[in-house]
Amino acid sequence: MTAEATTSEIGDEGAVAVPAAVGKVVSPARLTWWKFRRHRLAVASLVFLIAAYLVTLFASFVSPSSPSTRSRYLYAPPQSVHLFDKDGTFRGPFVYGYRMSRDPKTMRLVYADDPSRIFPLALFVRGETHEVLGLFETDLHLFGAPGGYVFLAGTDAFGRDMLSRLLHGAQISLSVGMISVLLSLVLGLLIGGVSGLFGGRIDTVIQRIIEAIIAIPTIPLWLGLAAAVPRDWPPVYQYFAILLVLSLVSWTSTARVARGRFLALREQDFVTAARVYGAGWFRIIARHLVPNLMSYVIVTLTLAIPGIIIGETALSFLGVGLKPPTVSWGVLLQEAQKIQTITFYPWLWIGPAACVVSIVLAFNFLGDGARDAADPFSR
Amino acid sequence: MNTTPAEPILRVEGLCKHYGARRSMFQAAAAPIRAVDGVDFAIQPGETFGLVGESGCGKTTLGRCIARALDPTSGRILYKRPGGADGEEPVDLATLSPSGMRPYRRDLQMIFQDPITSLNPRMSLLDIIGEPIVINGIAKGRAVRDMVADLLEQVGLRADHMTRYPHAFSGGQRQRIGIARALGLSPRFIVCDEPVSALDVSVQAQILNLLQDLQASRQLTYLFIAHDLGVIEYICDRVAVMYVGQVVELASNEALFSRPLHPYTEALMAAVPVPDPAARREAAVLEGELANAANPPSGCTFHPRCRYRTEACKTTRPALREVVPGHFVRCHRAEELTLAGPSDYVAREARP
Ligand SMILES: Nc1ncnc2c1ncn2[C@@H]1O[C@H](COP(=O)(O)OP(=O)(O)O)[C@@H](O)[C@H]1O
Ligand SMILES: [Mg+2]
Repeated sequence: MTAEATTSEIGDEGAVAVPAAVGKVVSPARLTWWKFRRHRLAVASLVFLIAAYLVTLFASFVSPSSPSTRSRYLYAPPQSVHLFDKDGTFRGPFVYGYRMSRDPKTMRLVYADDPSRIFPLALFVRGETHEVLGLFETDLHLFGAPGGYVFLAGTDAFGRDMLSRLLHGAQISLSVGMISVLLSLVLGLLIGGVSGLFGGRIDTVIQRIIEAIIAIPTIPLWLGLAAAVPRDWPPVYQYFAILLVLSLVSWTSTARVARGRFLALREQDFVTAARVYGAGWFRIIARHLVPNLMSYVIVTLTLAIPGIIIGETALSFLGVGLKPPTVSWGVLLQEAQKIQTITFYPWLWIGPAACVVSIVLAFNFLGDGARDAADPFSR
Repeated sequence: MNTTPAEPILRVEGLCKHYGARRSMFQAAAAPIRAVDGVDFAIQPGETFGLVGESGCGKTTLGRCIARALDPTSGRILYKRPGGADGEEPVDLATLSPSGMRPYRRDLQMIFQDPITSLNPRMSLLDIIGEPIVINGIAKGRAVRDMVADLLEQVGLRADHMTRYPHAFSGGQRQRIGIARALGLSPRFIVCDEPVSALDVSVQAQILNLLQDLQASRQLTYLFIAHDLGVIEYICDRVAVMYVGQVVELASNEALFSRPLHPYTEALMAAVPVPDPAARREAAVLEGELANAANPPSGCTFHPRCRYRTEACKTTRPALREVVPGHFVRCHRAEELTLAGPSDYVAREARP
C-alpha cells in the first residue's frame, strides 16, 4: 500500500461530523455537554439549582434575620414590596408597616397595611451578627428595612421571619440530599464495584442483600429506623442519623448501576488490551472502568436526590425526622400541620411546599437531560 | 515465507480452556464449555499462522489464552524469544503468575476484532497508545509523545491526531490506532483476532497490507484469526482449521487450498461465495449447526454434519495425523477421500 492511499483514506473517511468544530478536538466531555444542552428544561433546571444552592450556602447573609429571632408580629401575612405610595409618588422599593387589630369574634390577630408607615428597603444593611460558612462573623445582610421590619414571606406563631426560616431550612433539606447522595455514591461504587468485578459468590450475596433491602417498603423502613434515633441526641447527631437512614436505601440503585456497568465494561476489548499490555487492576479500574461508568452513576444519583429530599421532608413532617429547633422544610411543614394554620395562615405551608416541589421538579428535569447525555457516543 | 523448520517461537501443547466449570451457590455445576479442547501447534518466527473456523469454535478463546488475557485450564504455551541464546529453554507462559508474565507482555500483544470496543472512548490517542509505553517503563514524559507521534505515522495516521478521541475516527482508522497501541511495546508476536472482519472490504485490504508491511519491517510473527477464508488465503503462510475447540486440519496455505484433507475444510471452502452467480456449486454445503462445546458429539466431533461419515466416525475420535509431510488432519478417512478445494470448482465450472 502506498503512502498516498493511506493518507487519502484518512482524508476520505474523515472524522464524524461534529457541529461547528471543524479541526477542533472534541473531547467526550464536550460531546456530553452538547447533548445535554439540547434539553432546554434541563439546562434551566441546572441554572436554577446552582442558584438555589448558592443562596442556600449564604443563607444567613441572604436572609434578613436569624431563623429564631422573634418579633411581636405573630402570624403576620407576607408583606408585599411597593414602588409607589398610595398617592402615586415614586418611593423606591418599600414595604408598609402592619396595622394590628383583633377580630372581636375569633380573637385572631388581623393585619392590614399602615399607609402612614413606609419602610424603604435597602441592600447591604447592618443587622444581627451571623456566621458566613462558619468562617467569619459579620452583621451585613443582603437586604433589610433599616429602622423598620420586613417579612416578605410572613411570620409564624412566634413572630419569626418565614423567609429566613425557609432559607435556613434549605440548608438542611438541600444538604441532606447532597450528602446522602455522596454517601450513596461511595457505598454504591464500592459495593457495586466489588460485586461486578469479582463476581461469583460475593456477587450473589451482595445481590441478595440488595434485593432484600429493596423489597422492604421504604416509608415504613425509614419510619422504623428514624423512630429509633434517640430523641435527646443533639441536633447534629440527629441530622447525621437521619442522613444515614435515608442513604441506607438509596445506595442500592447506585450499586446496581455500577455493577451492571462494571460487568459490561469488564468484557470490553480495551480492558482486555490493558491486561495484555500489563496494566494492573488498580489502573484498569481507575483509568478504564470508572471514567466510563461515572456518567451513568451521576444520572442515577441526580434522579435519587429528589427522593431523598422528599424522604427527609416526609420523616420530619411525620414527626420522626428532624425536630425543632432544627429548621428544615419538613420541620416547617410539620409546624404548619394544624387545621387553623392551613386555612388561616396559608403562607406557613405554601412556602416550604413550593420550595420542595420546585427543587424536586428541577432535579427530575436535570436527571432526564443528564440521562440522555450520559452516553455521548450514541446518536 | 518461512519453510525451514527453525525453532518455533511459540509451541502450544494440549491447550485447554473450559468455561464455567465452577459451581455457584445456587446453581448446580453445569457441564463446562470446552471452548478450547486440546490444541497443539507450533508457530515459526516470522510467519503468519492462520486460525480459521466458524464463529463460536473457540478461536478468540485460543488467541486470548496465548496472549494470557485468559488463564488456560491446562496445557502448555512454550515461548522462545527469537535471537535468544541457543541453549535457552522456552518458557511456559501458561503457568506464569501475573508478575512472572510481566517481562513477556512486551513480546506478546493483541489486535482486536471490534473497532468500537477495543479503544477506551474516554482516552485521547496519546493516552491510548502511550499507556502501554508508560507502564512498561519504555519512555517517560516528552519521549512518550514523540513515540506516539512516530507510531501514529507508522500506521498511516497523522501525529497531530494524538489529542483526539476515538469517536472522531472511522472503523479502519480505529483498527490502525489499535495496531499502533500494540506496536508501542515492540512486540515480536501479535495475536490478530479477526482484525478486519468488522471492516468494509475496501478498507480490509488496506489494513491487511499495513499488517504485512509492519511484519516485514519489524520481523513480526502473527497468529492471524479469521473466519473468512479469502483473508486467510491472502495473508497466511500456514493455516490451522478449528472445529469445536480442536484443530482438525493444519497445513501450508498452498497445500490446504489446493487439496483440503478434512471434510470440514472442504465444506468451509464450498461456503465461500463465488462472484459469478451462474457458477452454482454442487458442493459440500455445511448442514446443521456448530456442535455444542459443552457436550460435544461422540467420536469425531464433526460426524453429525459430515457427508462422508462411517460407523467408526460415530464412536472413535480420530487423532491429528500427519498424512502428507507438513499436512496434519484429524479424520479417519483422510487417505481414501478425494475432497474438492477452491481450484476444483474453477476447473469444473470451466468445463463445457
Ligand atoms: N466468557 C465466556 N464464558 C463462557 N463461555 C464462553 C465465554 N467466552 C466464549 N465462550 C464460549 O466459548 C465458545 C468459543 O467462543 P469464542 O472463543 O469466542 O469463539 P470464536 O472466536 O471462534 O467465535 C463459544 O461456545 C462461546 O459461547
Ligand atoms: Mg471470536
